[in-house]
Amino acid sequence: MLCARPLLFRSACLSKSIPSRPFSKDSAAASYDVVIVGGGLSGLALAAAIGSLPLARELLNIALVDASDLTRKYNWNSDPHTYSSSVCSITNASREFLDSIGVWQHVEQSRTSPIESMQVWDGISNSRICFSNSDIDPGGSIFEMARLTENLNLHRALLHRLDEIPGRVELIDQVKVESITRSGTWPVVNLSGGRSLQTRLLIGADGFKSPVRSFAQIGSSGWAYPSHAVVGTLHHPSSNHPQHNTTAYQRFLPTGPIAFLPLTKEVSTVVWSTSVQLASILRSVHPDVLAHLINAAFRLPEVSIRYLHSILLERGADGITPESITEEIKFRENAHGIGPHSALYSSDVVSLGVGIPPIGSEAYPPLVHSVQAGSQASFPLKLSHADSYVGEGVGERTALVGDAAHTVHPLAGQGLNMGLEDARVLAQTIGEALSLGGDIGSYISLIPYHTARYAPNHAIISVIDKLHKLYSLTSPPAVWARSVGLEVLNELGPIKSALMGVAGSKTKQDMAEPLQHYGAAGWHAAATVVESLSGGIRTGKVVAGSLGGLVSSLVQNAAKNTRG
Amino acid sequence: MNRIASIRRTVRSLHSTASTINPDEIDFFSRLASQWWDPRGEFALLHRMNPVRVGFIRDKIIQTLDEDITPLDHLSPTRSARILDGMEALDIGCGGGLLAESLARLGARTTGVDASESNIKIAALHASADARLTTGINYRYGSAEEMVAEGKKFDLVCSMEVLEHVNNPRTFLTSCADLVKPGGHLFLSTISRTPLSYFLAIFMAEHALRLVRPGTHDYSKFVKPSELVEFFQHPDLAWISRTYGGIPIRKEAEIRGLIYNPLEGAWKTLPAGLSGTQCNYLFWARKPNLS
Ligand SMILES: Cc1cc2nc3c(=O)[nH]c(=O)nc-3n(C[C@H](O)[C@H](O)[C@H](O)COP(=O)(O)OP(=O)(O)OC[C@H]3O[C@@H](n4cnc5c(N)ncnc54)[C@H](O)[C@@H]3O)c2cc1C
Repeated sequence: MLCARPLLFRSACLSKSIPSRPFSKDSAAASYDVVIVGGGLSGLALAAAIGSLPLARELLNIALVDASDLTRKYNWNSDPHTYSSSVCSITNASREFLDSIGVWQHVEQSRTSPIESMQVWDGISNSRICFSNSDIDPGGSIFEMARLTENLNLHRALLHRLDEIPGRVELIDQVKVESITRSGTWPVVNLSGGRSLQTRLLIGADGFKSPVRSFAQIGSSGWAYPSHAVVGTLHHPSSNHPQHNTTAYQRFLPTGPIAFLPLTKEVSTVVWSTSVQLASILRSVHPDVLAHLINAAFRLPEVSIRYLHSILLERGADGITPESITEEIKFRENAHGIGPHSALYSSDVVSLGVGIPPIGSEAYPPLVHSVQAGSQASFPLKLSHADSYVGEGVGERTALVGDAAHTVHPLAGQGLNMGLEDARVLAQTIGEALSLGGDIGSYISLIPYHTARYAPNHAIISVIDKLHKLYSLTSPPAVWARSVGLEVLNELGPIKSALMGVAGSKTKQDMAEPLQHYGAAGWHAAATVVESLSGGIRTGKVVAGSLGGLVSSLVQNAAKNTRG
Repeated sequence: MNRIASIRRTVRSLHSTASTINPDEIDFFSRLASQWWDPRGEFALLHRMNPVRVGFIRDKIIQTLDEDITPLDHLSPTRSARILDGMEALDIGCGGGLLAESLARLGARTTGVDASESNIKIAALHASADARLTTGINYRYGSAEEMVAEGKKFDLVCSMEVLEHVNNPRTFLTSCADLVKPGGHLFLSTISRTPLSYFLAIFMAEHALRLVRPGTHDYSKFVKPSELVEFFQHPDLAWISRTYGGIPIRKEAEIRGLIYNPLEGAWKTLPAGLSGTQCNYLFWARKPNLS
């Protein structure tokens, strides 16, 4: 081997002040300080965050590899009448981070929607919890609770931001990482097409199946939920709904939660987690059938939802027409005495959109008129948490962010937000190591990232999972306990505001406080509450009627956790 | 090309002591090097301490650079990302090169010197794996006194966790002071001589928790911060002009306690002053400019 100079630098890279020679002299691979595998939202946000570090310009050589076509995402042309059904709610904390690294400015604002309140209720008892910005900020200086955006809108913004940081991040798309090896101490990423990248620090932002995690031999624990999430874009034009479509709704059915997430005044998205069999039918039913089923799923008593599900399972996606499902829903409405003047009525969508809305309509989402063609999709749901976010020994010089490190049920809209917070903290950790002359790939440089992120993520993962478990139960004591729990929660200002703290809402005076701490305390408090509820069910305490005891222990736990 | 051959080649290409490594020893020393550099191995405490020490160095350097700026300098372009760019640094008792590598990455042309030949080989081998480092770093087997005899001077002289091991601290400190250019910096870290330091550094760390090898430290050699201040205040050196309640003025010298939290596995510096300096502490002093 005669020449061991790095190959394949984009011309922009040549203008950099960084000497582009390899760290290890015996390698034919191009050398980088940071290679990020994965151009999903977490990986791109991390690239933008590192690229925005003041020290990075002079000191770092960064590449990002992704299997997909990033140019297509860069050029995404948003048709004003159609919306992608892959959406995420972005907390205020995440938005602030995206703003600070110059990304939020590139998000097309008219295609995002603020979430100003949330209504969450029990599918069986109808016990309800309402979150709204006025809860934590009676004075009205609060911004919003969260912001809904299409993933593509954010994807494009991230790519446009990276474009502004010339030469600092080399994007290598439409190639797969085929293997990861090591040359001396340095990880080497071998790409389809034969190119190899040697790196000081290898970051796995490569999603649930993370090849980087496997390479680093970092274990991961968790399980697949026996459910999938069906998504779709919902149109509800000329709605006479009392809200301006800035309320998110979520109903916990025993089969899983169904969520309605506003995107514009007349467009929203559904995220419907349900059994795998049912999900595969909902994904492929006629869009009009899905529209009817969604309206009913938010309104009809649980017994009727169960009945509709049994029909779907019996007849399959092709056995149901919009007409036949309307008949079935009408039949169930009659059985429950639900007439056209009830907020629970949904079988005649067209005539309902006009005139004075029935009393109590604001408790339910706007009636869906149609589901956008081609927007139905479904995703498997799982819980997983890596044993560590930083590799050691055989895995040295690696770190994990986003879904590569953890996946959660979407019921709390936290997955991406956790990944964005990972990206923020990891970039900060790298910046600190640079300013200390550290080797940014070393365990010592990276361990503060693991320490800062592991416990907070763990708290979120556990509370989401416990909520999911609690709401899958249908036995009367469980329903009773969680209904009381929800109502107690509703009264607990500190827990609510803390919960919303992690949901990113904060008053102006909170601005100075580190948000993640605020949020983490809230999740711990929430975890304790959920734990108390589950505990009550197990021991039968609740059935014994010790309401006073349950409530006071909830309050005590909450007080303890919010104070401490 | 196999790894050993490449190390051999890089080692031969290193300017200094590393080139004296016998090729047969390379295997042996690269094994030692990987033990020395194992962040969870025998030197774990030292690895964890390094970022905190460098943080102290960084902050003092930035502070003095800021204070030295004359009004006209504000017009000059912003400072390099490598805050030690253009400086010559010496690390006395460099061990496996932990601090020396950090100083080199921050831009200093760095010399590491150690009285243990094996340490020097470990350090040189480790640095040779990282081609970004080898231009800025240079290791030699020897002593501070030899460098004084050669008339060497540096902008930055560091000696971390060495003072408590030397036989004649007065001679050692005199050499350290001599190696600093006028206007340059001296950074030390060491352990004070107090009942607490006996308890923590010897009883707990060596015997109860076995964080370091028993026999690593000798209590009688520990140096109190007040003794360091006195040394640098003595008219022979006069780096410190006056003290208030035993504390030197901030532009001349600084003492900071350094505590280890075993639960977090992390070191922390305490605010400047004498509080919390009963065990590990950092010391900085600046040699007066010739006037
Ligand atoms: C239905 C649903 C609703 C959700 N709603 C929300 C919400 O409201 N709020 C929220 O915060 N989160 C939400 N989430 C979660 C969120 O979508 C994910 O957490 C987030 O998108 C994960 O991003 P990532 O970049 O970590 O991983 P991914 O998006 O999985 O990206 C991984 C990338 O790595 C690349 N890659 C993998 N292997 C290779 C390889 N070998 N070679 C090259 N490239 C490779 C892939 O191409 C991919 O681009 C939701 C999830 C679902 C399923």
